[in-house]
Amino acid sequence: MAAYVALIGQAYVGVMYDIAIDHAGAISAALITLVFGFAFVRGLRFLAARRVAWAVRVRQAYDAAPSITKLAAALMLLSGGLHLALVPGHEGITGVLFVIDGLGFIALAIAAFVTTWWRRPAVLWLVATILAYIVWVVAGWETPDQIGIACKLIELVALGLLMRLANPTRRSWLRRVWRASAFPLMACVTTLGIWVGGLAHPDALHAHAGALLQPVAAVATPGQQVAAAQLLADTRASIARYQDPAVAIAAGFKPGPVSSAEPLRHFENAANANAVLDPNRPQALVYAQTTHGLQLIGAMYQMTRAGQWGPDPGGPLTQWHQHEGICFSPFGFEFSFETPFWTCPVGSTSITTPPMLHVWIIDNGKEGPFAADLDKTVQRELTGRS
Amino acid sequence: MNHTPSTNRNAAEIASVLVVVQASFSLVAGLSAIPFAIVEPGFRVLGVVTILMAAAMFWLARNLRRGRRWAWRWLVTMEVVSLAMTALLSLLPIGTIRGPVPLLVNLVIPVSVLVVLAAARSDARGAA
Repeated sequence: MAAYVALIGQAYVGVMYDIAIDHAGAISAALITLVFGFAFVRGLRFLAARRVAWAVRVRQAYDAAPSITKLAAALMLLSGGLHLALVPGHEGITGVLFVIDGLGFIALAIAAFVTTWWRRPAVLWLVATILAYIVWVVAGWETPDQIGIACKLIELVALGLLMRLANPTRRSWLRRVWRASAFPLMACVTTLGIWVGGLAHPDALHAHAGALLQPVAAVATPGQQVAAAQLLADTRASIARYQDPAVAIAAGFKPGPVSSAEPLRHFENAANANAVLDPNRPQALVYAQTTHGLQLIGAMYQMTRAGQWGPDPGGPLTQWHQHEGICFSPFGFEFSFETPFWTCPVGSTSITTPPMLHVWIIDNGKEGPFAADLDKTVQRELTGRS
Repeated sequence: MNHTPSTNRNAAEIASVLVVVQASFSLVAGLSAIPFAIVEPGFRVLGVVTILMAAAMFWLARNLRRGRRWAWRWLVTMEVVSLAMTALLSLLPIGTIRGPVPLLVNLVIPVSVLVVLAAARSDARGAA
């Protein structure tokens, strides 16, 4: 693990759940909404101090409201501002719904101080908004990104606050169980929905869960095809001397931890960390755990920092990838996927690796010699596991 | 059992809601480890520990609302440890904090819980 971390660079550029370009303006909108809300309250106090009748009434209602109501209203106002800011990037029915949703949230935030009936409609509005987002994401009509997920987080917190404002007088056994489990259930459903949507509808640069691909051209030129073949030949010739793992270890390659889930083992050489796509100094060797022992099947080149794509002489044939959104445990090469709300199981942490390029020196089936992963059929034949 | 009957109800309610949000996310993280635990024995332990921790947070949130001083102390300790871990991990070049969502979940919510817990505490002292 220490060697693994040692190979990871200083900065980070890309993310699994990125910020969609047409959503970036929402960050400014969120800040403006907060400043506007603060200025509105200060202006209200100013006018009330000068005995403007409506301002006095609203201020009295505002001051009388509990903090939990004020916070819920502020979060709904924030969500409303975010939805309105996202309208220009959404066409058709989605854009119309964003307008309705944004205005609805702003109206409910105001209603919290001037009506007595606002809580139930606000709960329904929040639940409907969260569920609609899940439907849109699962259907593939919206790509889950950090702005959308942050918006759901704000709405979940507002929903939790509103649920605490519920009338506690009717306390049947069923109602108490529902009250205790409704919010965690909603959080689970939201997470699952975003997850399913992200995994079911990956974009062109997300090869498989947890890997982001280098942007490349669609078709390789004849020159790139020659360069890719040369890289494969050079790598094969260079690492042939490490067929015996003991030779690799003697040369400074450190075996990665044995994992029951991962039949491939990476032997990393920290001394090669700064080499860039040098067939004589690959960052790691890849061995397959076969029934006859370890078999050398390829090399792995790796850059020094995340987001720093390496040179791709073969164009789309030599496409780099980086792993992210994965929870690693320091107790070994054990991992699970990070949740869309950036949480990992206790004892593990999210890690983003610098970009890497695998060169498979064995026949890698239909995936080819530079694929991010070993072909499943090839892996099964080699290791007996997929 | 210690009680803080004069603790600001609102501050305690807000803090408990935020802790329930954190606990729900922990619960999801623990549950999400289960499919991986089938092939990764280590994650069986981590998944179970995470789910138990989420359950403990739900319980602490409940007792905070009931004005238990020990729940307040445990939650302050947990949030401080959580923030310290976040600070430590963000110093490592492993891309822990990147974007608004991890910032909100790992930094803003724990800091908010601490601020609200401090308000609840100071109100309790003021009323004592």
